[in-house]
Amino acid sequence: MKTSRFKSIPWHIVFMVTIVILIFPIIFAIGMSFKPLEDAYNNTINFLPIHPTLENYLTFFDSMDVLKITSNTFIIASVVTFFKVITSFLAAYAFVFLEFKGKNTLYFLLISMIFIPFSITMIPNYLVISDLGLSDSIWGVILPQLADAVGIFLLRQSMKTIPTSLIEVARLDNLGHARIMKDIVLPLVKPAITSTGIWFFILSWNEYVWPVLILKTVDNYTLPLALQMYISSEGGTNFTVAMAVAVITMIIPLTLYLMFQKYIIGTFTSSGIK
Amino acid sequence: MKSFLKLFSLISLAFVLTACGNSSDSTDKDSSSKGEKTVIEYWHVNAETQGGKTVEELVKAFNEQSETTEVVAKYNPDMYKGLMQNLQAEAAAGKSPAVVQVGWSFLDYFSNNFSYISPQEVIDQHFKDDSTFIKDNFLENVMDLAKNSEGTQVGIPYSLSTPVLYINRSLLKEAGLNENGPQTWQEVQEFSKVIKEKTGKHGFYMQEPADNWATQALLESNGARMLTDGKATFASKDGIEAYQLLADMINKDKTALHLPWDQGVQSFIDGNVAMAYTTIARRSQIQQNVKFDVAAVKSPAWEGKEVRLPAGGAMLAITAQEEKQQKSAWEFMKYLYSVESMAKWTEGTGYVPPRKDVAEAENGLKAYLEENEMMKAAVEQMDGVVPWTSFPGDAGLQAEQLLLDTRDEILGGKVSVDEGLKSTEEEINQLLK
Amino acid sequence: MHAVKATNKRMSKEQWLAYGLLIPTLLIFALFMFWPFVYTIYLSFFDWNMVKPTKEFVGFQNYIDVLSDPNTYKVFGNTFLYIVLLLIINCSIPYVFAFILDLVLKRYKNFYKGAMFLPSVISLVVGSILFTWILNPVSGPVAIILDWFGVEMPIWSKMDGWVIVVLSLITSWKVFGYNFIVLYASINGISREIIEAAKLDRVPLWKIFFHIVLPMSGATGIYVLIITIVQGLQYVFTPIKVITQGGPNYASANAIYHAYHEAFVLYRTGHSAALSILTMAIFITLLILEFKFVERGVHYEN
Repeated sequence: MKTSRFKSIPWHIVFMVTIVILIFPIIFAIGMSFKPLEDAYNNTINFLPIHPTLENYLTFFDSMDVLKITSNTFIIASVVTFFKVITSFLAAYAFVFLEFKGKNTLYFLLISMIFIPFSITMIPNYLVISDLGLSDSIWGVILPQLADAVGIFLLRQSMKTIPTSLIEVARLDNLGHARIMKDIVLPLVKPAITSTGIWFFILSWNEYVWPVLILKTVDNYTLPLALQMYISSEGGTNFTVAMAVAVITMIIPLTLYLMFQKYIIGTFTSSGIK
Repeated sequence: MKSFLKLFSLISLAFVLTACGNSSDSTDKDSSSKGEKTVIEYWHVNAETQGGKTVEELVKAFNEQSETTEVVAKYNPDMYKGLMQNLQAEAAAGKSPAVVQVGWSFLDYFSNNFSYISPQEVIDQHFKDDSTFIKDNFLENVMDLAKNSEGTQVGIPYSLSTPVLYINRSLLKEAGLNENGPQTWQEVQEFSKVIKEKTGKHGFYMQEPADNWATQALLESNGARMLTDGKATFASKDGIEAYQLLADMINKDKTALHLPWDQGVQSFIDGNVAMAYTTIARRSQIQQNVKFDVAAVKSPAWEGKEVRLPAGGAMLAITAQEEKQQKSAWEFMKYLYSVESMAKWTEGTGYVPPRKDVAEAENGLKAYLEENEMMKAAVEQMDGVVPWTSFPGDAGLQAEQLLLDTRDEILGGKVSVDEGLKSTEEEINQLLK
Repeated sequence: MHAVKATNKRMSKEQWLAYGLLIPTLLIFALFMFWPFVYTIYLSFFDWNMVKPTKEFVGFQNYIDVLSDPNTYKVFGNTFLYIVLLLIINCSIPYVFAFILDLVLKRYKNFYKGAMFLPSVISLVVGSILFTWILNPVSGPVAIILDWFGVEMPIWSKMDGWVIVVLSLITSWKVFGYNFIVLYASINGISREIIEAAKLDRVPLWKIFFHIVLPMSGATGIYVLIITIVQGLQYVFTPIKVITQGGPNYASANAIYHAYHEAFVLYRTGHSAALSILTMAIFITLLILEFKFVERGVHYEN
């Protein structure tokens, strides 16, 4: 076993280098968010603030109701994630454990929507939302996002690894589908649910193309939209304030991840799936 | 697992509560004000770095003094292009805001495709007292900027910008050059060479956004015309000569930079480029962040020729469909065009006021302009302002794009200026037919 | 006879249940995906810009225009280049990393897992603005450091090829960690007995990877493969839009960006629709191939 330890050193170096590359931009962003803009321009190489200032954060807090905007973002991302996971779970269950007419065609039809360009859906969706009277409301942002092909795909992948014999035995015991779902399938696909859940949350948390179209009043804004207020091609981007907004935007998903990292990784690994 | 869920639901609850609390507040406000006032939407593109705060202040001040109208401002990211996209979706849904900012390059596209009403028409219908407001307060050549290719007055100019040459005086001094900067384009080329030689820094950067604004200034000042009688004519001898100078500086002399806009300005601010040719709207960004002696000088001319500078910025157009909304729209616009509001607008954005008298008026910009040397260049060169060419017809935007594609090819050194411009001109004329 | 009837009855009950479970998804999809999709097919036969009062029927002209435009081929070429690059950086490399972390490395595991994931929570808009600064070829920190060594940084955003590589790296920066964690979890879930046995038999690492780990984590592998393709198609959009707007001369545009460009910059709805339909046709064909050939080789329990 001594050899294996020796072998691991080059790999440690590779990992460390990768991590430095991955983390540097984040440290750079955090550093910049505490710098006066003037310093950001004139002293880029020294990414740690020499004269640290809260000015950028204050600018952001002064011009918007940050708590409201953060809670909008949070509600949108949570509701979207919650429903997407449920709709995907139900659909995947039907595709894996039930027999019905048109199953393959339907599955294929749903999955092919992964490749739909958003330039196709943007305007028609806007028309629907506007007809429903939901423009300028966070519910208008949420509604079209309640189901997702990627989720169905991953959960189906995961459910397919469950032995059919397990389900058959349960059926013979006269267990209803509701019980099978809850007591057998759900615990087994928990890791897949966790990873899609994280994916959905991050995706929705950072989404801006669609909210830009729907939301009008600043009070209904989400964090990525607030960021857009500091980016302008003609007037120039206020880089340091933009970075302050970016730091605030990343705090919540980051804390959630770091707090539950053990649990998340644990779910992945403790599941009985081989 | 359980603690995870508990904590998560606790956080969610907290957020939902704050959100509900806040939203009930706002509905209260809405219902109380909606009773008497007409609510109209004003769409703008002004990010915080470009007058966003001023928009907010102006709208707030207007709402406080108006008894009939309540304005809701909507910010549209991604400039006039982004606004146009959102407007397209809104129009498809059968709705429209009341007042919108329309960028000059969208003038023809906007007037061909969206339903709008000319401000003068609204005035004639409802505001007899204001019937000469536009005539009295705007110069004719300024109002002409907001006429489409058929000569119809679409809106009223609101944000006016021109390109100026920002110079790093400290660097020029170091290179032993005239600190007041070059006067002609030939001098710009000479200066750049000297700077590169003496200081090792880059000499010049010309803005490269997704439009041909600065290119038009360069070419037309040399006597070329983008468009003559509805046909593209930029590949004339003068046009090619002008473009050649820029291409040479980048590819032959290697004294000029070929970079995206934000990166180019960044390199000017941190002192890596000595001169930058870009819009006056960047003034506050540059002024506030440089650590050297900076100045803005008038757009360089071509020796013995008059400068022609396309106006940048936007006009305000009325897209309200109902009479009541149209009335409110003009009430709001009139407020925005008052001397005081115009002065605030200029101070907040760096745009040149389109209205007469603002620059000199005591309640206008007099004091401000005296203090702001850098604005002077832009105000002084206003007599050289011409409309920003927007190619006519349905294929106009596509023609603009073709010229943009050629810029990449020419400045990237892939085709010669002569070949690039001539073939693009031909292609565009095919399109415009 | 009786039995057959019973299964039939059960079948039909099951059918209803299945449709019931699918209804929420189908409703949302019908309203927000299928109908825009069908509408787009319809629009691809018209010359229109979404706002003009009249649409003009042009038959297949939009398709002919799109297919005879050399830029279309350039853009599709770029699209596949993006996908290939992302498959290498975001699918193959994380796979190997996850494998090494699980089997070879003993220490700092938690640190690695945590640190690699961090960029995943940041949006690509932020990433794009950040990298515009970090990679500014004249003034950015990377350029300054290269300058110390006398190396001049290429002006990547204006150079064919380079621009795609850099934009792919920016996209990868964001997605790498997520793919890595998902793959790690899947590999970590593989029964230790088989791997330990192989190790005792001194089976070389690469063999363990290809013969044991790859097939046994195949279900997740396919998931990562598919989302990587989606990333190469959909996510690259953001850095393209923020940094290059498809330039120089379409050298960085991909199919999705180009469809957006046609629809919302040039307002040629018909062209954009035709281009979108062609893009989807290509990817759906790929999807069919994936179903037919790749999925067959995957190890599922049943």
